[in-house]
Amino acid sequence: MEILAKVTTGRFGLGALSVAVVFILYIIVTNQPDNNPALLPPLTDIFNSFVTNVTSGTLFTALAASLFRIFMGFFIGTTLALILGCLIGWYKVIEYLFDPLIEALRPIPPLAYIPIIIIWFGIGEFSRVLIITIACFMVCVVNVIAGMKNVPQVYVDAAATMGASRFQVFRTVAVPAATPFIITGYRIALAAAWTTLVASELLAAQNGLGFLLQEGRRYFLTDQVMMIIVIIGACAFIMDRIFRKIQARLMQWSEARE
Amino acid sequence: MPEILVDKLTHTFGKGGPNPLTVLEDINLKFESGSFCSIVGTSGCGKSTLLKMMAGLFEPSDGQMTLDGDIIRGTDRRRGMVFQQDAVFPWMTVSRNISYGPRLRGASREEQAEIETKWVDMVGLKGFEDRWPRELSGGMRKRVDIGRVYANDPDVLLMDEPFGALDAQTKERMQADLLETWRQSKKTVIFVTHDLEEAIFLSDKIIVMSARPGRIRHIEEVSLPRPRTDEMRLTDEFIQIKRKLWAMLEH
Repeated sequence: MEILAKVTTGRFGLGALSVAVVFILYIIVTNQPDNNPALLPPLTDIFNSFVTNVTSGTLFTALAASLFRIFMGFFIGTTLALILGCLIGWYKVIEYLFDPLIEALRPIPPLAYIPIIIIWFGIGEFSRVLIITIACFMVCVVNVIAGMKNVPQVYVDAAATMGASRFQVFRTVAVPAATPFIITGYRIALAAAWTTLVASELLAAQNGLGFLLQEGRRYFLTDQVMMIIVIIGACAFIMDRIFRKIQARLMQWSEARE
Repeated sequence: MPEILVDKLTHTFGKGGPNPLTVLEDINLKFESGSFCSIVGTSGCGKSTLLKMMAGLFEPSDGQMTLDGDIIRGTDRRRGMVFQQDAVFPWMTVSRNISYGPRLRGASREEQAEIETKWVDMVGLKGFEDRWPRELSGGMRKRVDIGRVYANDPDVLLMDEPFGALDAQTKERMQADLLETWRQSKKTVIFVTHDLEEAIFLSDKIIVMSARPGRIRHIEEVSLPRPRTDEMRLTDEFIQIKRKLWAMLEH
């Protein structure tokens, strides 16, 4: 009991505990005599599927294809969101020009664009990256705009009374003051990239993690499906952790840093 | 030498609209160069509005202000301002905050370092150069604000209740230190406050305003000798001025 108390105190311990509980429950359920392994494959089957896919190289090919799409879509989408969001949030003229457009497009789920994108551009690599780009852009731009609009007026006034031009205020005050919002936008965009990645690969792909999921369903390889779900979860988790580290570094000045 | 003149200034919010509200009426003032002047009045007398107009943060509906003969229009570095709120940039260290103004104008690294060393020392923040503002107390952040404006070398410093949010002891200490900085720099200071004792302790001249609409009610020349010391706060002369001004403010 004492050891358990020690392990479970602290953030990491508690997090590990909840993961362990899920695993144990899963093992107990799959060990019941009336369990159907075709629906709930035992952990050993899932692990075997992992080994098979690693040794055949399938998993790495799929992972590489998916990560490439994620990085491309994320990079292009967030870069556009950063540039456009800063301009929209800071310059009234640009806001009036783009705000109605963004507000109208915002409620549309990115996956709704899939049919039209396939009609226009086919089912190639470009289409999949485009869907992820749209998703990343939309969730990120909203945060960047919010950040620019929440710049405290007193910072703007202080810079202006020290002789800063409107552009200097933008560059030296508004953008840094908005970084907490901008970083949040980037993190949400990363999560959106994963969501849309799998969806785009489920619909139209010859490789990638989503394709392996689809293949698992078609050939009733439940262990493969389960394995891919765990892989996706783990990848997204690791990337988010890396992101938090970057965030902590960039936000050293902030009270609200992670 | 820089001298601020306020000439027949009137300001009406929503002028020409259905509900115009005159906040300042027929203000005529002269601030001699190198002097320390305070503007006092109850809340709603428009003293902060007047100060922000001098900074160029917004324009009066009638009348004009000049600095050294040039009409004030928009903000520029000649009129620096210290705000009641915390205006220290939290994403810059203490030194980087201090040298912000010179950096805007492309000061070299050496020039920046020189200015940082000088003003960090002047406002008593030696040893805190590389700290983030979040690591400082409210009083220390106010020192950064003041140092940053001084380091920018304006002609006039406009201060809008800068010590309003500080506790009594910190406030008195800050007042004494501000006077020392002012004595060394010889720059004109226009200081807005609702604290009479603060105004008397600091100023050569106190402008008393009445509210709704804001008008000049009285101008008091303070003849207490300089340098001012904390003991003066308890002298008869000091208390007499305080009593006189207190009676003028609408309570």
